[in-house]
Amino acid sequence: MATSESHRQYRRRLAAALGNPFLSGALDRFATSYLEARPGLFQGMDLDGLSRDLAEARNAALPLLGELLETFTAHAKQAGAKVHLAEDARQANAIIASIAHRHGVRKIVKAKSMTAEEVFLNDHLETEGFQVTETDLGEWIIQLRGERPSHMVLPAIHLSREQVARLFSQVTGRKEDPRDIQALVQVARSHLRQAFLEADMGITGANFAIASSGTLGVVTNEGNARLVTTLPRVHVALVGIDKLVPDLAAAFRILRVLPRNATGQAISSYVTWITGCPGPEDGAVLKKETHIVFLDNGRRALARDPVFGQALRCIRCGACANVCPIYRLVGGHAYGYVYIGAIGLVLTLFYHGIDKGRALIANCLNCQACKSVCPAGIDLPLLINRAHGRVLGSSPIKPLKNVLLASVLRDRRLFHFLLRRASLAQRPLARKGPLIRHLPLFFSGAHGFRSLPVLAATALRDRKVTHPVQGKEPVLRVGLFAGCLVDFVYPEQGTAFIELAQRFGVRVALPLEQTCCGLPAMMMTEYETARAVALQNLEAFSADRFDCIVALCASCASHLRENLPILFRDQPDLAPRLRAFTEKVLDFSSFAAKFLGLSSRSFRGTARKVTYHAPCHLCRGLKVREEPRWLLRTAGLDYVPARQEEVCCGFAGSYSVEFPEVSARLLQLKCEDFEATGARLIVTDCPGCVLQLRGGMDRRGSRMEVRHMAQVLAEEMVRPAV
Amino acid sequence: MAAAINDAERRLMDRFREAALAVQAQVRQVTDMEEAFRYAVAQTRRHGGRTLAVPGWDPESRLLFSKWCPESIGLLTSRLRQHARDIHTAFTCAELGIAETGTLLLNSTCEDIRLATTLAEIHVAVLPAGGLRPDLASVERHVSGRLEGPGYFAFITGPSRTADIERVLTIGAHGPRELHILCLGGGT
Repeated sequence: MATSESHRQYRRRLAAALGNPFLSGALDRFATSYLEARPGLFQGMDLDGLSRDLAEARNAALPLLGELLETFTAHAKQAGAKVHLAEDARQANAIIASIAHRHGVRKIVKAKSMTAEEVFLNDHLETEGFQVTETDLGEWIIQLRGERPSHMVLPAIHLSREQVARLFSQVTGRKEDPRDIQALVQVARSHLRQAFLEADMGITGANFAIASSGTLGVVTNEGNARLVTTLPRVHVALVGIDKLVPDLAAAFRILRVLPRNATGQAISSYVTWITGCPGPEDGAVLKKETHIVFLDNGRRALARDPVFGQALRCIRCGACANVCPIYRLVGGHAYGYVYIGAIGLVLTLFYHGIDKGRALIANCLNCQACKSVCPAGIDLPLLINRAHGRVLGSSPIKPLKNVLLASVLRDRRLFHFLLRRASLAQRPLARKGPLIRHLPLFFSGAHGFRSLPVLAATALRDRKVTHPVQGKEPVLRVGLFAGCLVDFVYPEQGTAFIELAQRFGVRVALPLEQTCCGLPAMMMTEYETARAVALQNLEAFSADRFDCIVALCASCASHLRENLPILFRDQPDLAPRLRAFTEKVLDFSSFAAKFLGLSSRSFRGTARKVTYHAPCHLCRGLKVREEPRWLLRTAGLDYVPARQEEVCCGFAGSYSVEFPEVSARLLQLKCEDFEATGARLIVTDCPGCVLQLRGGMDRRGSRMEVRHMAQVLAEEMVRPAV
Repeated sequence: MAAAINDAERRLMDRFREAALAVQAQVRQVTDMEEAFRYAVAQTRRHGGRTLAVPGWDPESRLLFSKWCPESIGLLTSRLRQHARDIHTAFTCAELGIAETGTLLLNSTCEDIRLATTLAEIHVAVLPAGGLRPDLASVERHVSGRLEGPGYFAFITGPSRTADIERVLTIGAHGPRELHILCLGGGT
């Protein structure tokens, strides 16, 4: 416990990283170019299919790791390599050090290996008296600086050319020019060439360990791994046992995806396949030896874990970091321990222990950006959430907010009573307007980056808003899932929807027994509470027969559709009832585009200039992308896309309370991008995003307005004849 | 029929050339081995290099090379560890090429091939006629056969590169700074 970083300490570290403008600039440029280049690289390839195949193949291999290891070992030994198995980091380090001692090694050259980072191999070898030189350019730079990699593929991405030039000037003793990167690379080339030639031992990792032939596959660009495996008389490969694949076909399956997703290359410069110990020809003076050290360090236990096992599908491409809005701001040193990015948050718990991941694990927006680029189909946000649950479960005392949330949410009447009372209590703070600009003293400071909305005087559920369509049978019967924010903060979004729907002959009902969707409970890892409220909602919507259930909040819709089946996975008897509910759930834009029979004639065609914010749970959660844009164009609006309109606004429910500094920066960037469009109105599909963006714009003194799609469509409608 | 085959081969060659150029390799057609070798000599000279390593070739080829090699260039045929500090150009023969990615498949089990192609400034590789395959999947059987140990099999795509300083693509990190691919005979 003593070694564990507190939330407060971690927030300070994040704030320091946020204060580094080079870092966020470099990472932002990387993320932008990465996302632009990625579709082209997979053009003509069925990426979803590849990803599915990859996931299935990895899933099939995981229970067989033991057998794969046996087969690999037999073949590799036959081909002259020596194979070791290390149960943990300590053992791996001891094995490698003893090999070095046995061979009278003094100097060691290393190629990049995350597994070596995982066990802190360099530290150990240096304590044992060996001189270790990293030879990957990025690794060498950070070794000289005494740092750890800040990215799995680009370890020195956090450093500027000026910093590298200053560092290299110390190495060469002359002034190196930061403008000439070619010359800086040349410094490393000539300096390290000497190290290769003098080394007694070379250490590498591996991307694949092919069981059927005992072959290691190494994917590199610089060519240093080829030198490390060739020149020194001893080669040691440290390989996680999760790198075992049955055959070459399985390795090729990964190879098709890895360089494309990692660095945007169709293939890397070098892919090297080493079987056994390919030494010099007979009669040569030098005798070569190859050792392969497999590392378990919790992997076999992880492989058996029904929830977390899928983390071992990771092929270490680093894409989950590239696209993570938090990583893009703070970099890998503040967003990970040894392994960084989304997968790093999860692996840290398993490979380095709960204490090392305790503060980190809460730092997730659940924006799904990582999941959408993971080629192995790992449900990273879900694993991070579950891992967070484990961390909280490991502590004897639950945080007060969890206890409160659990008890209040389960009792709908109490929850709604408290919300109504809060509306009264807030009034003195709000003065007259709909926003609170000055928080009570103990809340201001870090949390004052956005104005907060006032709870509505009359909640949607207390307004008599749903009238039956007069005269004829309704064309469609819709149950409105209001969600807490629409119900109690933005009831006008609900009334706009109801009026719109009723104009098209749709009958809307608002079942009053409905309650919170349960996403906040799930995010706080209160799974029992999440299940309890889900059952209440199931019950609330079972009385009437609805053709569909519309949620105005994209997060509610995505939670109801995607998360409920996961929450009730262990209750198959509930499945038919659950499916009947979840299948009917639709977000507003999908509903409006599909069922209202809208055309340009439905609208006045004001050509008002608007921009759009794509909520995370709409564009990535529900994968709804076309519908909102189609609606904007059909409504005759002049839609101007903002830069990175699919990046999270930083609200993410309670995230903005836990990590206000990060949330504030994300919001600031979003606001700047929106303002740059020249539009006056931001349209979105989620009341949470409305809350965040409106609060941010108000703070900036901006005149940009933010409204829900339902309101905007209602405004743009051709007015009915009076 | 023959025309159709030639057409398919030409398309494969075009694709290979395009992919190889995209990763800063250089591709040219040569009619015979003498032209290929003289090209390697010319490249060595262009850079002021003094040595040309020819690892892994059969004795007959080596004999021809020594005949064609000018006196100003040192021909290194074996025991390359002794020349580790002064290998300028590596002249090798690839087994196959992958058109989709512009990749060469080079059997490097012979240690001299590894030494030459990792230490050299320039790598000139001959790709024999009929050695092109469309994609990764189509070389799977061939590569599987090369994994019978002990062995060292290399896929080489363009010259050595890095993007470790500010993500700026820089050629020639540790391996050869230039890769020249000479497509031998065929196709024309």
